[in-house]
Order: sequence, then C-alpha cells, then structure tokens
Amino acid sequence: MDVGLNSGQLALRDSVRDVLRTECPPAIARQAMTDPERWRTVWKTVVDLGWTELARPDDDSPFGRMELAVVLEECGAALAPVPLLSSVGLAAGLLRAAGAGVADVLADIGDGVVAALAVQTPGHRLPGVPMTVAGGRVQGRAIAVPGLPRAELVVTLASSPDGPVAAVVRVGDGVSAQDVESTDPAQPVADVDIDAEPVAIAPVELESALATPLLAVAADLVGVAAAALARSVEHAKSRHQFGKPIGAFQGIKHALADNYVALERARGLTYAAAARLDDPATAPAAGWDAAALAKAAAGEAAVGCARTAVQVHGALAQTWEHDIHLYLRHAWQGCSTLGDSRALYHAVGRRFAGSAS
Amino acid sequence: MTQLTAEYAAWLSDFLPADYYERYREYRWDITLRRDHQRAAFEAGWLQPTWPREHGGRSLGLAEAMEIRLEAATRSAPKLPNVAGPGVAAPGLRQFGTPAQIDRLLVPLLRGDEWWALGMSEPEAGSDFAGLRTRAVRDGPEGNVFRVKGRKIWTTQAHLSRWCTLYARTDPDAPKHRGISCFILDLESPGLTIEPIRMASISDETFCEVILDDVEIPAENLLGELNGGWQVAMSSLNHERQMIWIMNWVEIQRGLTTVRASQATHDDYASGEVFAELGSLLADAEALRANGYRALNNELAGLPSPEADTLKLLGSVTLQRVWELAAAAAGPRSIDDADLLFERQDALAATIYGGTSEVQRNIIAERLLGLPKG
Repeated sequence: MDVGLNSGQLALRDSVRDVLRTECPPAIARQAMTDPERWRTVWKTVVDLGWTELARPDDDSPFGRMELAVVLEECGAALAPVPLLSSVGLAAGLLRAAGAGVADVLADIGDGVVAALAVQTPGHRLPGVPMTVAGGRVQGRAIAVPGLPRAELVVTLASSPDGPVAAVVRVGDGVSAQDVESTDPAQPVADVDIDAEPVAIAPVELESALATPLLAVAADLVGVAAAALARSVEHAKSRHQFGKPIGAFQGIKHALADNYVALERARGLTYAAAARLDDPATAPAAGWDAAALAKAAAGEAAVGCARTAVQVHGALAQTWEHDIHLYLRHAWQGCSTLGDSRALYHAVGRRFAGSAS
Repeated sequence: MTQLTAEYAAWLSDFLPADYYERYREYRWDITLRRDHQRAAFEAGWLQPTWPREHGGRSLGLAEAMEIRLEAATRSAPKLPNVAGPGVAAPGLRQFGTPAQIDRLLVPLLRGDEWWALGMSEPEAGSDFAGLRTRAVRDGPEGNVFRVKGRKIWTTQAHLSRWCTLYARTDPDAPKHRGISCFILDLESPGLTIEPIRMASISDETFCEVILDDVEIPAENLLGELNGGWQVAMSSLNHERQMIWIMNWVEIQRGLTTVRASQATHDDYASGEVFAELGSLLADAEALRANGYRALNNELAGLPSPEADTLKLLGSVTLQRVWELAAAAAGPRSIDDADLLFERQDALAATIYGGTSEVQRNIIAERLLGLPKG
C-alpha cells in the first residue's frame, strides 16, 4: 500500500505553496468576500501556471488524484478564493468517471473554463442525482452549488431511462442561478434550476462519479485544518499570560495536540483514498467509502481546528480584521458540501453493518 | 497479496487448529497454544521478520515486515504470551547488549522459553519515569557487582518471568534522566520478593510488585552504558510504540466485526443509531493503517515521519470507543457477556501503558508543534 507523497509530489506541493504565499495571502480572501471580481487576478495566475490542467485525465498525463489532492490542499491552506476546487476538483472530478464522451469539456476546464458541480438535491444531506433527462433536455433543481456564480458550465447528475448520466449544460438560457448569501462569501454558492439541452452527456456509475469530488473537498479541508492549526500554534507561542506563553499551559497544548491528531487522521485518509481511486482495481463501492471517510474526517478536522483557533485567539477571533473567521467560514461551508461528516459516516457504517461478515 | 504474505498465511493456517476461528473465545486464553505458536513462529522466521534467521526472522525490509504483521493481525494470530519479551526487551537487548548477553539471552527469549518483565514503574514514578528512586550502588572488591534497593510496581508477569530489565539510579547527583542505568536482573536472585497483584479483569497479563532488598547484580549485567539507561528505555519504548498501533488495529478490527454481528440481531430503530459512530470508527481504523504506512514510507525515504507520533493516541482512544459501541449495540446482552467486559476493561489500559495519552499529547505539542514546556 503506497500512502504518502513521492518526491515529485513533494516538489509540486512546495512550488504551489511558494506561489500562494506571495500571490495569495489570507487578506485576498477577505477582499474577495466583498469584491465579487477580486478572484479573477488570482485565477489568471492559477490558469497561467497550468494548475487547471489537473482536470485532464489522459492516460499519459502525469497528474493523478494524488497530485490533485496535493494542489487542492495547498489552495485550501491559502484560502485561495479561486474556483479550482469547484471547477477542477468537483466538476472535472466527476467527469473523470464519464468516459470519452466528455473529453472536450475536460479539455475546456483544463484550459481554464470555469465549471460547477450541481449534485445536491433539496432535502437531502448526501449528494445524489438532482436532475432528470427527458426529450433531450436536462431538468431539475439543485441547491448549494459551489462556485456557480463564477461558472460558465454546470456539471450535474441526471436519471435517464437507461440509468444515471453525467450531463453538462452551459450557464445561460434555461439555466437560472439564484444567488444566496454564502457562509464563506469568498467561495460563493448558488442554487440552480435547469431546463436546458446538454452540451455533453455520458453514462456514469454513481459511486465512481462522486468519489473524486468527495476526495477533492477532503483535500481542500485538510489544507484549511493545517493552516488554522498553524495559526493557533503561532499565536500560542507568542501570546503571553500569567508570565508565560499560553502554549505552555496544558489546556492549550492538549487541545492543539488533539487538532494535530485530527489533521493527520484526515490527511492519511485523504492520501489513502487518492491512492485507492488511482488504482483501477478498486471497486466503486470501496472507492466511494474511502473518499467519503476522508471527506468526513477532513470536515471534522477543519471545523475542529478552526474552532480551536477561535478559542486560542480569544476576542481577536471575533473581529473582521483578524483572519481566523476566514478559516472558520471556509471550514463550515466545506463541511456542509457533498455531505456533512455524520451523514457520510452513517452511510459507510450502514453499508459495513449490512455486509456479510 | 504478495507471495511472501501468502506464504505466511499458509504457514499460519497450517499451524492453527482446525476449529481455531470457531472457538477463538477459548483459544485466546490458551497459553500452551500461544507458547507453541511463538516457538513455531521463531523457527519459521515470522516472529521478528526484519531480524536475521537465527533471531527469528528472515532479514526482511520494514515494508515487508509490516505486511506480515498486518496479515497476522487480520488473521487473529495467537497473541504472544509474554509481549514484553519479544516486543520491548528483545530490541533493547539486540541494540545495547554485549555479545555475551545476546548469546546467552536472546534465543531463549525469542523462543519464549524465558519470559521477561520490564522494571520501570515505581510507586512514586509512573509517567515521571525519570524520577525513579530504586538505587544501585557499585560494590565488591573490584567493583564487579551492584547492590540494589527499591521497589517496582505494575511489573507485568514478573512472577512468571526469569529476567527483568531493571532501571535503577546509579548517579544520584546527575540530572534525573542522566543518572539511570539499565540492568538485566535475574528474577531468581536472593533478596527479591515478587507479589502478584489481583487484577480488576480476567487479564492474563498480571501486574506484580517487585521488592528489591539488597539484591546483588553482577556488573556484567549492565545493559548499555553506565548511566545510559534513559537511552535504553527510550529506544525500547520507541520500538514498542511502533508495534502498539498494529496491536490496537487488530483489536479495533475485532471490535468492528463484533458490532456488525450484533447489528444483525437487531432490527429496531435503535440499530440504525450506531451507524454514524461505526463509520467514524471505520475511519479511525483506516487512518491508523494509512498513517502507519505513511510513517514507514517516510522513514524508508529518510524523511521526517511526524504522523507516527499520532498513532498511539488515536489507536488507544479508538479502541475504547469501539468496545463502548459494541456494548451499546449488544443492548442488555452486554451485561452478561464476560468477553465484552474483558474487552472494555482491557481497552481502558491502552491510554495508560506505553506512555499515557496525556504524555502523548505533551510530546505532540512540544516536539511536533514546538510549543514551550510547561
């Protein structure tokens, strides 16, 4: 079992990290919350550097899901207000399971066209199939579509007489987005009603289709968890009370140690799921379970680390000008994307309990 | 499955009685079977896979050894009857022992012919191991013996063991962790009193109190350098910590299977209530395995492996949660289930032995996160 990063992946991680450190400090995320066009300059850098090419799953591409996870983790850590997760991680991630029929769409996403993934049916906690296909049209409603306000294409799942399909529609006629107030306005979501002709359509196996998107959100949240914890550690070393750094008190120390365990738990599951999904021998159910557990664990780690960061920073964390609320908003929003942790754990636990011993 | 793992699996299945899995609940307490298994594993080279043939191994790499250990875990191979011997004392002996010590002691230890106890904790020195008070004073015409006085406690299986790695203070003036030496104590020495302590559970890993009243230990029984006991202890415990997560993982797997079996007997609303916790525990188990491999791969690549320090904490807590869930899933039948009672009691020890969870959190906070000492 090969879990962990090889030297090429470590180099990729370091180069992405270096770029984001200079191009995208947390202040950019704060600006993006109030300026709806602020993301575009960062996105141009991301596209120019070729990170969107992670969308292309050609056989000779050097980019597997592990590379995708590595890059998304760093973008999460930087709170980069770009649609890389929603376009390349979620929309293109799902289309990886849709075969050659969507190759042109993947090529467009690889070139920087922004897509969004609509798989959340109203009234459901887990992602599923919100649309139907009939008479050559995709119809239905999905909510909380990540990155939709910035997208040109919408990727969705639809039921058809021949089984589930992935369908791609163009934002415009017959695709009406309703903007909502997002917990994290730097990563806005929107609801969508669709009644449109698809630009591409291809049959999919549902669990295979949803596995890579789940993995992608997990990687993003692992990054958020790591960054929030790093901020807590930094503050705990420099803030003095009762004549010593607050990080010398076990109350703080143990909370941060528990954060670290939660972070590494999530990171281990995420890398293991990436390796599993890159292995063609993995069965769809096993791939979905691995990705779902990674996503559930990463949601817990991100929210746990961000909440502890609020506690460690005290009153500072309650202010707009301090960065901690940026991590918290991103973590809470990610936690509710593609299934909350409890719902995902429940689904995997139920399948395990029902399987033959 | 690799060819090597398949070879191991075939060997194990040949060794085990035909009804082993059916009657696991009885066989797990069968010391004769467990002794036979240890000896056979030693002879076949499966006991310590990375060590050379004469020391119960096959000179395998770390990754291959991990495959074998996980396969053993998955197949519920019989537990070593005296884990402290092969698991903790043997690595210390190989690393720090003189050729004469290794020659006399290692093979009987690995075959299980001579059991070992670990003389670390004292009534006043538990987590604060370096605060131990047992004193060893050099004596004899040529200074060739040490005279030892003191008291050890929670010394597992001392009453059944022949040897003990005894930690004692040899330099009372040095800073506390620099004045400790490790001795190989013959538990048949005059001046020793060994009292088993009745356990709260049916465990066969009985604690003892070991009282040393002027016990003579030959100077040649020093293990490692004089005043170098701290290094011996840290190295041995480090070895143990790497094994502990696999032991925890085995027990967690058994717990998960137990929950699944109970589920099958219930069909009311409450049976669905356990699913989320069950899923969370499945994540813990998979995270342990994934991070065990990450740590190993990093180690092999010469990179830091900080995730290794989370395994003991996560494994022990998960173990406790899984058996609590098993009790919930069993409903009132948990009340008259002696095996379950044992599992729950045994799991509670996991956050104490080999470094308590509180000490583990301090280690993570101070060494990995760089927070100041309190």
